[in-house]
Amino acid sequence: MANSGVLDGVFAALADPTRRAVVHRLGHGPATVSELAQPFGITLPSFLKHVRVLEASGLISTAKSGRARTCTLRPEQLEPVADWLVTERALWQGRTDRLEAFVTHHQEPRP
Amino acid sequence: MNPDLDLTIERVIRAPRTAVWDAWTDPRLLEQWWTPAPTSTRVDVLDPRPGGGFVTRMSEDGHTFVPHTDCAFLAVDEGSRLVFTNAIDSTWRPAPPAPVHMTAEVRLRDHPDGTEYLVTVRHGDPASRARHQELGFFDGWGSVTEALARLTEAGALR
Repeated sequence: MANSGVLDGVFAALADPTRRAVVHRLGHGPATVSELAQPFGITLPSFLKHVRVLEASGLISTAKSGRARTCTLRPEQLEPVADWLVTERALWQGRTDRLEAFVTHHQEPRP
Repeated sequence: MNPDLDLTIERVIRAPRTAVWDAWTDPRLLEQWWTPAPTSTRVDVLDPRPGGGFVTRMSEDGHTFVPHTDCAFLAVDEGSRLVFTNAIDSTWRPAPPAPVHMTAEVRLRDHPDGTEYLVTVRHGDPASRARHQELGFFDGWGSVTEALARLTEAGALR
């Protein structure tokens, strides 16, 4: 079964839209930090914080070559998360939570 | 039920059975809970009768929608049971496992506190998924998008 420490780190890393976008981008192949930062209207130091969170989670690795730092996706880190039955259960529990919240919320105004 | 392949979710939902049924079968209502915030859902087809389609797209930014659900209903009992599968798509074309074939059965029963809600999801043999993985499930753009869509979904859980 999945290692919950790894899961926590990966979920935390992916809880941010900028970091998800970076992971999407790295799905195409490795890229330098400045290439990755370019689409986001944020300063390089702010962007580097996101890179460090992703690196700490193990989702990406980075390597310096000359003046550029290259980031590479490590998809194997997704495997504990992607343990298929764990993922399917989370999917269905999430759906059931949302359905329950939705229908009970909608019923509340009525006695 | 095979504990290695299947999962069940059982819950009493404090709302009338008709409300739960409507939330599943009215496209405008399904859109409000099918995927977790901040993603949004658009229902393209929701035809709850045997052979009917179930097609949704999802979006992370509210502008760009990507395919999400493409299933076919197998059995439908008005007000009490929905069974659908992703083993064939909404046009009855045999579908690639994504990431594993499943048949989901949602059952609703009246309960003194509302609705007894029971989901049974029967999955295909994970060996077929393992083969899928060997063939490069995690390689490339599409698979990462898929993995992330699933992670985003799973992230709705605490």
